[in-house]
Amino acid sequence: MSGLDRRDLVYLVAAAAGLGAVLALGDAYTHRIATLVGIYAIAAIGYQLIFGRLGLLSLAQGAFFGLGAYASALLTLSAGLPVPLGFVAAVLVPMAAGAAVAAPIARLDSHYVALATLSLAQLALLAARNLEITGGANGLYGVPPIGVGTLEIVGPQAMLLLVWAAVAVALLVAWSVTAGRRGAALATLRDAPHAAITLGLNAARSRIAVFMASGALGGLAGALQAHGLGVVSPSVVGFEVMVTILAIAVVGGRGSAAGAVAGAALLIPLPEVFRFLEGSYLVAYGVVLLATIVLVPRGIDGWLRDRLPRRPPAIPGPPGVTRRRAGKALVVEGLVKRFGGVTAVDGVSFSVPAGTIVGLIGANGSGKTTALNLISGLERTDAGQIRLGGVPLGGRPAHHRTGLGLGRGFQHPEFPDGLFVLEAAAVAAPDPAVAMAALVRVGLGDRAAVPVSALGGAERRLLDLARALATEPDALILDEPAAGLTEGERVALAGLLRELAGSGLAVLVVDHGMDFLLPLADRIVCLDAGKVLASGSPETVRGNPLVIAAYLGLGAAA
Amino acid sequence: MTDEPPPSGGLTVEYLEVRLGGTTVLGPVSLSVAPGSVVAVLGPNGAGKSTLLRAVAGADPVSGGSIHVGALEISRLAPERRAGLGIGWSPEGRRLFPGLTVEETLDIAAPGNAAERAERIGAMLELFPALADKRHETAWRLSGGQQQMLAIARAVISDPTVVLLDEPSLGLAPVARDQVFATVRRLADSGAAVLMAEQDTARAVAIADRAVVLSRGRLVLDWPVSVLIDNPAFEQALMGV
Amino acid sequence: MIEAAAQLAVNAAALGAVYALVALGFVLVITAVGAVNFAHGELAMLGGMVAVGAATLLPTDLPVPGLLVLPAVMAVMAVAGLAVAGIAYAPLRRAPPTSVFIATIAVGLVIQHGVNAGIGPEPRLGPPLIDAGVLRFAGIGLAHQQLATIATAAMLIAGVHVLLQRTRFGRRLRAAAQDPEMARAIGIPVRVTVAVSFALAAALAGAAGLLMSNQYLVDPSDGSLLMLKAYIAAVIGGWGRIWGAAIGAFAIAVFETLIAAVASYLVAEALLYVVVLAVLAVRPQGLFGEAAGRRA
Repeated sequence: MSGLDRRDLVYLVAAAAGLGAVLALGDAYTHRIATLVGIYAIAAIGYQLIFGRLGLLSLAQGAFFGLGAYASALLTLSAGLPVPLGFVAAVLVPMAAGAAVAAPIARLDSHYVALATLSLAQLALLAARNLEITGGANGLYGVPPIGVGTLEIVGPQAMLLLVWAAVAVALLVAWSVTAGRRGAALATLRDAPHAAITLGLNAARSRIAVFMASGALGGLAGALQAHGLGVVSPSVVGFEVMVTILAIAVVGGRGSAAGAVAGAALLIPLPEVFRFLEGSYLVAYGVVLLATIVLVPRGIDGWLRDRLPRRPPAIPGPPGVTRRRAGKALVVEGLVKRFGGVTAVDGVSFSVPAGTIVGLIGANGSGKTTALNLISGLERTDAGQIRLGGVPLGGRPAHHRTGLGLGRGFQHPEFPDGLFVLEAAAVAAPDPAVAMAALVRVGLGDRAAVPVSALGGAERRLLDLARALATEPDALILDEPAAGLTEGERVALAGLLRELAGSGLAVLVVDHGMDFLLPLADRIVCLDAGKVLASGSPETVRGNPLVIAAYLGLGAAA
Repeated sequence: MTDEPPPSGGLTVEYLEVRLGGTTVLGPVSLSVAPGSVVAVLGPNGAGKSTLLRAVAGADPVSGGSIHVGALEISRLAPERRAGLGIGWSPEGRRLFPGLTVEETLDIAAPGNAAERAERIGAMLELFPALADKRHETAWRLSGGQQQMLAIARAVISDPTVVLLDEPSLGLAPVARDQVFATVRRLADSGAAVLMAEQDTARAVAIADRAVVLSRGRLVLDWPVSVLIDNPAFEQALMGV
Repeated sequence: MIEAAAQLAVNAAALGAVYALVALGFVLVITAVGAVNFAHGELAMLGGMVAVGAATLLPTDLPVPGLLVLPAVMAVMAVAGLAVAGIAYAPLRRAPPTSVFIATIAVGLVIQHGVNAGIGPEPRLGPPLIDAGVLRFAGIGLAHQQLATIATAAMLIAGVHVLLQRTRFGRRLRAAAQDPEMARAIGIPVRVTVAVSFALAAALAGAAGLLMSNQYLVDPSDGSLLMLKAYIAAVIGGWGRIWGAAIGAFAIAVFETLIAAVASYLVAEALLYVVVLAVLAVRPQGLFGEAAGRRA
C-alpha cells in the first residue's frame, strides 16, 4: 500500500488540471464553487473514515461540521479570540465529541447506529436553532475572515487556495489513519471481526482514533465554511448537509478519501445545472445517490479500482533465522461454560505439551467449538483455568491472548476485501518479512503478490494459518483445518502441522473425523456432552467402546 | 445406479455437488430412496448430511448433478415450487413459526381450499396423536417432542412423495425419540420415500431400510441395514476413520 | 383540572393513534425484509398531499370529505409503496443491508424535495374527516375531528390486526417475515408477501398522513420527523415486534403531549432524543430485545 498507485496518479492529474483550470479561467463565482467543493471534500474525507473504514452508517458528520463552525464562530465573534485559535477549537471540539461517542456507538447494531447518530445530530440542530448563544434561528453574523494579525485571507482566489491546501492536509490525515498495516487492520476489524480479535487487533483504540480524525476533519470543514462565508446558520447542522456528505461519500466510493474529493467535485456544482429546481436541488442528489448505489455501488473509486487495480506490494526478503521457540505448553483445567440452562462445557481438562499435536473430537453438541472459543477468548469461562507456558490466559480479553502467544485458525476464514495475500498475512505480524516467511512455510510463498480474492478454498485456509503464524505464536488452535480439502491437500496439511509441532509449537486441532487425526496426532481427546469422555493415543481412543458408543448416539447425550 | 432409470416415485440423487463459499462441501453424491422406505444418512458432524437434505429441499444451490422426484428433475427449481411437487422438509432445529398455533401452522402449509385444508389438518392430528389435544396451543409452548411432531406434520401435510427429516431426534429425551422414530416408520409404511439425517445412529438404523454414511461430503457406505449390525467397518465409518 | 387532563388525554390518544399507524407500517417492512425504510415518513407526507389533492376533486359541500377520499388515498399509496420496493429494495436484494438503507434515504430525498419543487413548501390543509363540531361531555369539549381521527385509526389498526393474526394470508405473511427460507419450503410465495407488506405499510402511512393533514397541516418537510418517531417507536417496542412498535408509538405520543403541555414541543422533542440515546447506551439491544432477524 506504500508508494503512489496508478489510481493516485489519475486523481492527482485530475485535481491539478481541475484546479489549474479554475484558477486560470474561472471568475469569482467559479472560484467560490470550487472553494465549496473543497470544503465539502474535507468533511467527506472525514466521513469516509467512519463510513467506509469502520463500516458504520453514522449520520452525525453534519453535526461535526456544525460543531466546528459554531465553535470557531463563537470564539472569534463573541470572545474576540484570533481566528487561528478558533480553528483549533473547531478541530478539538468535534474531536472530543467523536472520542466520547465512539465506544457506545460501536456497540450498537447497524440499524441502531443510524438512529443514535441521527438523534445526536437532531439534538445539535435543536440547540443551534433555539439557544441564544448560537444566535437562534438566524445564526451568527459577522464571523471574521481568516487571518492572523494583519495578514487576511480575503477574496475568492485566496480562499480557494487556502481551502485546497486544507484538502491536501485532510488527505494526509486520512492517509496516516488508513495507510499500510493500519488500513489492513481496520479492514480486518470491519470485515473479519472474529479473526481480528484472535489476531490481537485492538478494536477500541482504532475506533476512537477514527472517530477523532473524522470529527477533526468535519470541524475543520465547518470552520472554513463559517469564516469563508462570514455567516453561520443552523442549517449547517441540518440533515441537508449530512445527506450531501453521504451522497459525496457514496458517489466517490465508500471509504476512499480521494474518491470523496472526486464525489464533491461532481456533486457540489450540480445545483447549478439544476438551477430550475432552486432550493430543491436535493432531488438531483437523491436521484444521483440512488442511481449510484444501485448501478455503481462502489462509486468512482470502485470504478477506477476495477480498471486500474492496485499494484502488488513489494515482496520482502527472508528474515533472519526463525527463532527456535522455547516450547510452551497449553494447559486447560476444569473449563465450565453455561448458556442459559445448558452446560455446554462441563469441567473439561487436558493439556497440549509443546511440540505435540493434540486432536479434539466429539459429536455434534459435544462442546468442541465452545471449548475452542473459551481458549481463544471469544467466550468467557464460567469457571476453569487456561494457561500457556504457565501464564494464565483466562480473564484476559481475547486480543491480549495473541500477545501472550496464542494463535487461532478458523474453519471459514474471513479476509478483508481488496487486499493482497502478503498484506492479509501481515496484518498482525511484527513486520512484513515475518509474514512472508509464514507464507513460505505454509506453501503460499509464490502467491504473496496475488489478490486474496483469487485464492481457492484450500489456499484461503492456508492463508488463515499463515496469518496466525505471522504473529509468532507458541500455541496454535485450529478449527476443522481439513474440512473441504482434497486427499492430497490434507496430506500436505498434515505434513505442515507435523513440521510446525516439530519447531516447538503446541498444536490443538479440532476435527470431526478421525481419518485426518489418526496418523497425525500424538494424543486425542474425545468430548461428549461437555465432558472429556476419553483421552489417549489415537489407536486407544479409536478402539474405546465408549467413544464408539458416543458416535453411535448411545452415549450420555442419548 | 446411473444406468438404471429413476424409479417411479421416490427420490433419486445423481452426482450431486454443492459448493459453498469456494469449497465443495458435498459431492459428488449419488443415492436413491424408494417409496415406502427409510434411508438413514449418518456420519460425523460436518460431513454434509444437512447440506444433502438442504440441497434436495432447495435451500442450498446445487452446483452439479441432478435430483429426481419420480421422473421430475427438480434441481433448478425454486424451493416454493418443490413444496408443491412433492417435497416435504423438516429442517435441523425444527424452525417452527413461534407465534402460530398448531392448527395455524398446519393450515398455512396445507394446500387446497378451506375444506380440504381442514380435512388434512384432521388427518395430521390423527397421524400425530401427541398433537391432537394441542390444536390451539402456540408452537413455542409445546414440549420438545411435540414440536418435532409438529415440524414433521408441517412437512407432510401436503402429502409429499419425498420426506426430508434433518436430525428429528435432536434435543429430545429417549422416550420422545422412540415416539418420533415410530412415527417416521409409519410415514414410510404409508408410501413416502423418507430420507433422514441422524446422529442417533442406533435408533435410526432400527427403523431404516438402508443406511448411508457420509464423510467429508462423500459417500463412504451405502448398505442395507441387515448388513450393518455389529459390523466394525460400520463403526469405523461413523467415526470418520 | 379534570377537563384539562381529559383534553390532554384525548389529544394524546389522537396523536398516538396516528403515530401507531405510521409505526405499524414501518415495522411491517422491517419484519418483511429486515431493513429500515428511511423514506417511510415521506410516504405519510405524500399521503397527506394526495389527500389534499383528492379533496379538491370533490364537490365542496360533501359532509365527510376525508373519509370519502381515504380509500383512494390508501390505494394510491399502496402503489407508491410497491414503487419504492421496486426501486430501492428489489435491485438491492443481494447487496449488503446498508445499501438498502442508503437507497431509501435517497428515495426519501427525492420524494420530499420533489414535492417541494412541484408544489412548493407551504403547508397545506387536508380534508377534514367530519364536521367541525364539538361534543360536550361532562364539561369536556371533544372535537368531532379528533374523535373521528381516533375512531378511523383504531379501525385501521384493528383491520391490520385481523388481517395479520386471523387470516391465513396474514399468517403466511408473518411466517414469511419470521423465516423466509422455511416459508418458501412450505410453499409460501415470499416475493408476494414482501410486496404486500410494502403496499400495506405505505397505505397505512398514507392514511396517517391524511388523518394528520387537517389538524396539523401537511408540508413537504414533515416526513423526516415522522420517520424518526416511528424508528424510535420500533426501538422502544422491541425491534421487529409489530404490536410493540404500535404501543411504543402511543407512548411517544403521550410523552410528547404531556411534556408539551408542561413545557413546550421543543423540550418534548429534545427529551425524546435524550431518552432514546439513554436507552441505546444502556441496552444496545433495545428495550425489549429483538424479534426480527437479519435479511435472509
